Parts: sequence; structure tokens; C-alpha cells
Amino acid sequence: MGALAAMMRKDLRLELRSGRSTIALVALSLLIMVVLVFALGASATRRVDSAAGALWVALIFSGMLGATRALNSESENGCIRGLLLSPLDPAAIFVAKLGASFIFMAIAEAAAVLLAILFFNLDVGAGIARLAGVMLLGALGFAALATLLAAISERTRAGDLMLPLLAVPMFVPALIAGVKASSLTLSGAPPGAISQWIRILAAFDVLFVTAGYLLFEHVVGEDQD
Amino acid sequence: MSDHLGYLFAAYTIIFVVIFLYVMFIWRRQKSLEAELRTLESRLAELSSRLTSHPSAPPE
Amino acid sequence: MNRTATNSLGAASLLLMLAALFMIFLYVPSEAEQGIVQRIFYFHAPLAWVAFMAFGLVAISGIFYLWLGDSIWDDLGYAAAESGMVFCTLMLVSGSMWAKPIWGAWWTWDSRLTTTFVLWLMYGGYLMLRAMADDTPQVARFGAVVGIVAALDVPIVIVSVRLWRTIHPAVLVMRNGGHGLEDPRMLATLGVSMLAFTALFAWLLLLRFSELRARTRLAGLAQRLAMAQAAANDMPPGAARGIAEGAS
Repeated sequence: MGALAAMMRKDLRLELRSGRSTIALVALSLLIMVVLVFALGASATRRVDSAAGALWVALIFSGMLGATRALNSESENGCIRGLLLSPLDPAAIFVAKLGASFIFMAIAEAAAVLLAILFFNLDVGAGIARLAGVMLLGALGFAALATLLAAISERTRAGDLMLPLLAVPMFVPALIAGVKASSLTLSGAPPGAISQWIRILAAFDVLFVTAGYLLFEHVVGEDQD
Repeated sequence: MSDHLGYLFAAYTIIFVVIFLYVMFIWRRQKSLEAELRTLESRLAELSSRLTSHPSAPPE
Repeated sequence: MNRTATNSLGAASLLLMLAALFMIFLYVPSEAEQGIVQRIFYFHAPLAWVAFMAFGLVAISGIFYLWLGDSIWDDLGYAAAESGMVFCTLMLVSGSMWAKPIWGAWWTWDSRLTTTFVLWLMYGGYLMLRAMADDTPQVARFGAVVGIVAALDVPIVIVSVRLWRTIHPAVLVMRNGGHGLEDPRMLATLGVSMLAFTALFAWLLLLRFSELRARTRLAGLAQRLAMAQAAANDMPPGAARGIAEGAS
């Protein structure tokens, strides 16, 4: 447990000290929101489902960058071998990476939500708090997926392109559920209507965190013949 | 509804054409595999004939 | 792989396919509302069944590969993914051919079509991963992980897409003939067609799989032969002969 926390602290400290990646990630989220407003047209800003959709697009893109950041902090110096030689269990490495990715994504999403409140004239209140909960569920699921797949895509020739190719189709059910839940939350729908979508999101999170935890060791080892 | 016959025909044709193309794809790869196998066999034959033409080596 | 097994499977699928075609065009009655074009369904549904089954096979092969490490499981998984992709594409194309005359649109966000489309995207990701990376055991492991995770995702995709579609009845919904088969002849035709496509898939899978297996073994042989040739040029003939005999 101590080693895990140490590893997460290392990633976070590295990040917060330079602050470069976090700022870039936040900036990217904001710019995605801007692009979507112009792409969807001014009338879209009056509709709550446009806000929901925009937030999830921002989540996916910031997620893809957040995961590659968390994994690449090692590969740049070949430190991944050092990590593997340490007594740290690969599954624990996964949890640490997941934690770091998740925190990066959460920061980027928080910025996006603030901007959405502004651009789409959302009511600030209990709805926003519930929305934050939905977005965090989504961020957790995507972080788990991306952390597992980033380790794969890093080792292929297509590199950065491979991650979205693999991650986006797999994320579709969470995207569908997340956007619906977000949109319903923002329009003040009764909790009964929202809960079925939340259940799907929760199931997705459980599935991918577990799968990532169990399978990460197969993805991170060196070429053993 | 007779124009719908065109869609029916198109669907079935595409299905069979694509399956046929895939079979062709596998067949061509199989042929290249056999060619590689023949190359390997000839290299092996050449190697063993080269070795048997040096009978001067002492028995192990 | 056993030549006679492959050939008999090929013959069986040919016969079953001919039987299915006979039933589809000469035996089964036309459906009341949609008319003659509904007959696309008798290929469309089995194509979907095979596509999903093949995906399951990719995942199961992946599990065995990670567990046992024998490349035979990786070859099976890759062959299943390739064949599955063919059938998945055909399912989507036939769905489009069916949607256009009935609904006037080349594509509908019907829950089954949408789910299969997501499956198609996942197949595409897997095949691109294998195509864009070298043929190493590590990449084979990557493929196994992707196959397993994607297959685990499929149930959630089915549930979420179905829920998504029932909330939007305004968008075109295609009534899949699966719920409207009144005549027992329709069920019989569907059954035969399912068998025919399963046999066809098994045959294509076996063909591709045996070719991949042979290629793997050939690569190993070529390597040993190269070593033997190098040895023959450097070492005394007696020792080299030993290596060459080992390579044959």
C-alpha cells in the first residue's frame, strides 16, 4: 500500500511541479468546448443535451491525453524496467497509473464544467453537484480503459493513434449512458429516470477497473519469448 | 415492390462475392506458403548434399 | 491440418448453403408487409450470429493464450478475428440493403445494427493493432488482452444501445424479422441458414488457421536452417551435419 501511494505521489508531484501537462490538459478541454459551441451553432447553447454532449467529448479527449501522460512519464527514461524490477506488483502499478490519470481527467473536467455553466447557461445548484458525480464515474471508466490500452498502443508503430482506435469503440456504452445521465440531470429529471443509466456507468467502471487490474501484467512486461 | 428485387439481388451478390474474395485471399497466401516451403526444402537438400560430399570428417 | 477434415467441412457448407438458398428463394413464403426484400433477413441474421460468435472465439483464444502461452491459440484468435470481420461487415451491408427499400434510408440506428457496428469497430481496432505491430509474442499478448476486454464490453454495449433506442422512438426503428416469424417454414429456413453459415465460418476459420499455423512452423524451420547453413560454413562438417539433420 505504501509503495502504491508513493508511486502515485511521484506521478502527481512530477506533474504538479512542472504543471505543464495539467495546464495543457485544462486548456485543451476548454478549447474543445469552444469548438463544439461554434460547431453546433448558437441555438445549441440553449439546449441542455448539447452541454452534456460537449462535456463528454471533452472528457474523452482529455482522457486520452491524461492516460498517455501518466504512462509516458516512465517510458521517456526507460524507467519502466526499473519499475518492473521493483517488488511492486504490476496490478498495483495499474492502480497507481489509474489514480494519476483519473485525477488529471477530473481536473480537466472540472474546468470544462465551469465553462459549460457559462456557455450553456446552466443552473448552478444541486444539479451541478450530481452532474459532477456522473462525470467522475465516466472519468473513472475511461481512465481505467485508457491506462490499460495506453500501455499497448505505446508499443505499436501507430503509437498515439492506436489508443483512440481501441478505446473509443469500447467506451461507447459508457458514453451513451453518461451523456443521457448528464443530460437528464441537467434538465432536472426525476432520479428514477437517471438511475438506469447510472447503473450502466457503474457496471462499466467495475468491469474495466477489474479487467485492467487483472490484465495489466500481460501488457507491461518486456518481450519474454 | 418489384424494384425491391434489386436490393435483394444486390445483397446476396455482395455476400457471395465477398466470401469468394476472402477464399481467394486465403488460397493465394496458401500458395505463397507452399512456394516458401519448396525453397526451404531445396536449401535443405543443398545443405545436406554439401555435407555428405565432405566424408573426410572423423566419426563423432 | 487434416486435409480431409477441411475438405469435408467445405463440402458440407456448400451443400448446406445450397439447401438454404433453395429454401430462401423457392420454399419460404414472402412476408406479408415487407414483401420479397424481407428474404435478406435469412442471411442477415445468421451473419450477425456468426459475427458475435467469432468474437467470442477471439476472446476465448485470448484467454487460453495468456494462460498457456502456446502460439496455436494466438493463431486461432487471429484467424477468428479476420473471418469474423468479414461476416460482421456483410451483416452491416445486408442490413443497409434491407433498410433502404423498407425505410428509405441506407442506415438506421436500430439497436441491433448499432450494436453490430460497435462490434465492427472493435474488430477493426484489433486487426489494426495486429497489422501495425510486429509479429512478436508480446503483440500476441496485446491482441489477447484487447480481444478479452472487448468481448467483456459487448454485453454492456447491447444493454446500453437497447436502452438508448427505446427512449428515442422518433428515430427510425427497424422491426427485425426475428419477432415476426409466424410461419413455421420461416423458422425452418432460418435454422438451415444458420447451420449453413456456421459451417461456412468453420471452414473459412480452419483454412486461415491452418495457413497461420503452417506459417508459424515454417518460420521456425527457416530459422533453424539458416543457423545450420551458417554453421556449415564455419564449423567442421561433422558437427554441422548434426545441426542440419536436426533441421529436417
